[in-house]
Amino acid sequence: MKNFKLTKDQIQKLALSAIGFFVLVYVYFTFFLGPLNRSRDSMLANIADLQTKVASSKNEMMRANNLETQATTATTRFAALKALSPEGAPIAWFPPRMKAFFASQEIDKTSTRLESSAAFKEADLAEWMRYSWLFDLPQTDFATLGKTVAALENTEPLLSISRISIKTLADDPQFQQVSLAASTAIVKR
Amino acid sequence: MALHLNLLHEEFLEQRQRQRDPLKIGMMVLCALGAVMVLYYMWNAYKTLEIRNRQSEAQHQWSKVEPKVTSAQKRSGELNAIISTTKVLDGMIDGRFYWAPFLEKLSRCVALNAQLTGLDGSVVDEKVSVSIEGLAAGREPRAAAEELRQLLIEQLGQSYSAVKVEFKALEDLDTIVNIAGANMAMARFGLNVSFNSAAAKPSPPPARTRAPKQ
Repeated sequence: MKNFKLTKDQIQKLALSAIGFFVLVYVYFTFFLGPLNRSRDSMLANIADLQTKVASSKNEMMRANNLETQATTATTRFAALKALSPEGAPIAWFPPRMKAFFASQEIDKTSTRLESSAAFKEADLAEWMRYSWLFDLPQTDFATLGKTVAALENTEPLLSISRISIKTLADDPQFQQVSLAASTAIVKR
Repeated sequence: MALHLNLLHEEFLEQRQRQRDPLKIGMMVLCALGAVMVLYYMWNAYKTLEIRNRQSEAQHQWSKVEPKVTSAQKRSGELNAIISTTKVLDGMIDGRFYWAPFLEKLSRCVALNAQLTGLDGSVVDEKVSVSIEGLAAGREPRAAAEELRQLLIEQLGQSYSAVKVEFKALEDLDTIVNIAGANMAMARFGLNVSFNSAAAKPSPPPARTRAPKQ
């Protein structure tokens, strides 16, 4: 076996080469490959995130389309119920509407008064208000009253009669004086 | 065996020492390593560029889809709100107490020899309470009033549950009325009617029995 004996000069050169090697490796990984890998990883994560979003958005759109189809009845019904509340303050349009309704039922000289109004407790009815009304029908007969109440309950689905009072007229017992208390749900305008 | 004489051994030694120079070897090794590293870096850079293209493609796709998704989510929210509001409103509509059928039933119960003079009714939740005042005439006016009470129980019991009809007052009057040419005594009555607006539960069907053999 040959004896490799290094001179001092050679040892210095070897040490210099080793230092050069370590510097090269450090620079390579710290300033070149490291940032490149980090950038690639962040891009991959971003792509995965976007792909998840796109996939879930497709489901979301499909669900919205299905919901649109299923909710056709509900939207039509909702529009019809909303259409029962015209623009403007209810005190302005509701009493005349009731007066016209009772007149069409051959009950004249009626009056409609607003008793109170309050918001609904239900969160789903945040855009609706409950209005309580008092109807005074000074003279009507029982049969007409029955038909009128039936027509009122059928034509005004959001109206609910909570109190009814019927008194015979002292001087004409064929006729009665009637007062009704009812509440309606009206859209906030 | 041939004999070789090396007359230039000093030159050979110098040449060997030059070839064995550690710095030169080290530089060569470093250069080779550097070349490998550069190649590896370029390969990685190429891959990264490819990924960047994929990312921009995905970004483009998402930017196309995003407005649609946002509007779909908004519409879904609106539709859900409409559905739940309609459900609550329908519940309110279905849960109403309809007075017209009640008045119809009441009118059917009042016989010719009875007259109602007053009625006060109210409904709270599903519980309906009605106070009725009236007059009854006949040889036995109290019996006429009782007949009205029984009829009310029977008629209202067909449509409502927990029907109660009780006399609040029943008193004879001194007044005599003429009905169909006959003088009749009168009584004043007051009735308290209460019931639940929910429909009465149908009675269970009778148990099946085996038909007798013929």
